Amino acid sequence: MFSFTKEQKVFDISGVCIGGQPGMYPTVLFGGLFFKGEPDFEDAKRHIQIFYERSKQTGVPVVPDFFIRKVEYIEPILSFIEKIIPKKQPFSLDIIEPSLKIQTLEELSSRKLLPRTIYNSLHIGMTTEEYETLQKYTPEAAILVAFNPKDKSPDGKIEVLENGAHLIENGLLKTAQTIGITKLLIDTAALAPGENSGAAIAAIPVIKEEYGLPTGCAIHNVVEKSRWLNDFPFAKKTVDVSSNTTIPLFGGDYALFGPIENTELIVPLIAWQDILISEYTENYFGISPVASHPRRKLLK
Amino acid sequence: MKQKIQTSVIGSYPVAINTQELMNDYFTEQPSSWTPYIEQAVHDMTTAGITYVSDGQTRDPFIQLFTRKMKGCRIRERTEIIGPVRYKDPITVADQITAKRLLPRHAGLIGVLTGPFTLAKSSVDSFYHDERTLAFDFAQVLHKEAELLVKHVDFISIDEPVFSNELPEYAFELLQTITKGLSRPTRLHVCGDVSSIIPRLVDMPVDILSHEFKASPHLFDVFVEYPCKKQMCIGAVQSDDTRVESVEEIVAHVKKAITIFDENVVHIAPDCGQRLLPRDIAFQKLKNLALAGEILNER
Repeated sequence: MFSFTKEQKVFDISGVCIGGQPGMYPTVLFGGLFFKGEPDFEDAKRHIQIFYERSKQTGVPVVPDFFIRKVEYIEPILSFIEKIIPKKQPFSLDIIEPSLKIQTLEELSSRKLLPRTIYNSLHIGMTTEEYETLQKYTPEAAILVAFNPKDKSPDGKIEVLENGAHLIENGLLKTAQTIGITKLLIDTAALAPGENSGAAIAAIPVIKEEYGLPTGCAIHNVVEKSRWLNDFPFAKKTVDVSSNTTIPLFGGDYALFGPIENTELIVPLIAWQDILISEYTENYFGISPVASHPRRKLLK
Repeated sequence: MKQKIQTSVIGSYPVAINTQELMNDYFTEQPSSWTPYIEQAVHDMTTAGITYVSDGQTRDPFIQLFTRKMKGCRIRERTEIIGPVRYKDPITVADQITAKRLLPRHAGLIGVLTGPFTLAKSSVDSFYHDERTLAFDFAQVLHKEAELLVKHVDFISIDEPVFSNELPEYAFELLQTITKGLSRPTRLHVCGDVSSIIPRLVDMPVDILSHEFKASPHLFDVFVEYPCKKQMCIGAVQSDDTRVESVEEIVAHVKKAITIFDENVVHIAPDCGQRLLPRDIAFQKLKNLALAGEILNER
């Protein structure tokens, strides 16, 4: 474990603190819902309840991450969020299609949900219309996906954050700042096995040292796409869940995992990992964990 | 004039990169494919009727295109040299193979290399602190790349724009490091005003010299003073001006070149890479260039 020389920013997003030196704040878990498209609200309600319960029990902060795949899902999903997610809790919206993002931003604004929204995500595929809509309806927090199709190494990820890798006019950081988004989370863009997937983990300390911003990724995607793991069906779930531990081990601040059904396995696992990291970083670097940290909560 | 004049490009070609599509590939976990962009460039060049085409150098600006894949280089705002520059993997070979697959029978392929001095001058050197050593290490890497490229291309073109501002005393040896032993002809492209360095350029260890004669027509006058036995590639349409030169204008320009270089005029081309032009303008310029080539060869 290590400590960064660059000052590490900590963002409070509707009560969830994210970032800082390893061992200070617990790893934030984003649990994915509705990845396949059609929302099952009853099922989601049950899983979100468990998600929050395990968070309270362990001290691991959690953020539900809602996928929105079709325009007709925007209103029901946002109504569900208003009803189910506590008023002082953040949530994340994961939308790919630019036109859906635009309509969702308008709806978030009219419902006054933007201060609680983590916009997932800004990337090189952003359209002019999306940019203009974001300037009008600006969420406080956003995830920046540092995917560089030219270069999947940590350097390539920095390039896309810094100058857009000559694919877009400005780097993602400047773009986000120009829009007015103040709380930026970097996603190191995990890729399929064979596509330099390990670089997503290697990039975490590199990017944190460079920018001091909260950094993480959806490393479990790599496992999901692995074909050879299909030959080991009993191991696949274990590998999927445990892959998330590499993020705090490399100094990362958050993990996007899915589906949220894996809560029971992942939340205690990350709590355990955070405890180990905190023990070391406090002893070696003198970094004390915050009061809500799993180490304070579970080891009394 | 006995030898047929061939039409050619210098290297880069403007294509629109669809970043949304690249992101969709990312979200669906498909590998990013650059083939559509190589196809667009090659399609335009061959449809325009150009004989020797490139892969369009669509991946990157011409510095990062090479340094991105070399050991010892790190891409930041500029290329940073952080260790010994060494060959890692083929740099442009895969794209050249893709381009070759797309060529009609009459067309040939150029293996374009960004020159070692231009690479050295465009980098931030945090390792060597010695420009000459860095340039020669770049040249060694480019030689290895060229050795692989000659299996797939008709000739190698070395792009050294920085020479027009500064021609190092070791320029000959530097280029020789790349060209020595290659089994295909070589071309040196130096854009900008090369009038002051022509006496040295005419002795460089390459087969063809390529310059921007259209934007700098006074180069003709200087070459008259320094007889050149090299074959010549005549820049005949500007790459920094959106005005499309007419076929007649191009023909007249090349005829002037023929009065000076006679049968050594083997290629006519744009003055430089066309990356910065709008695509429709770049295409029209190539089309007129090809038509001019046909007229010149009918004489």
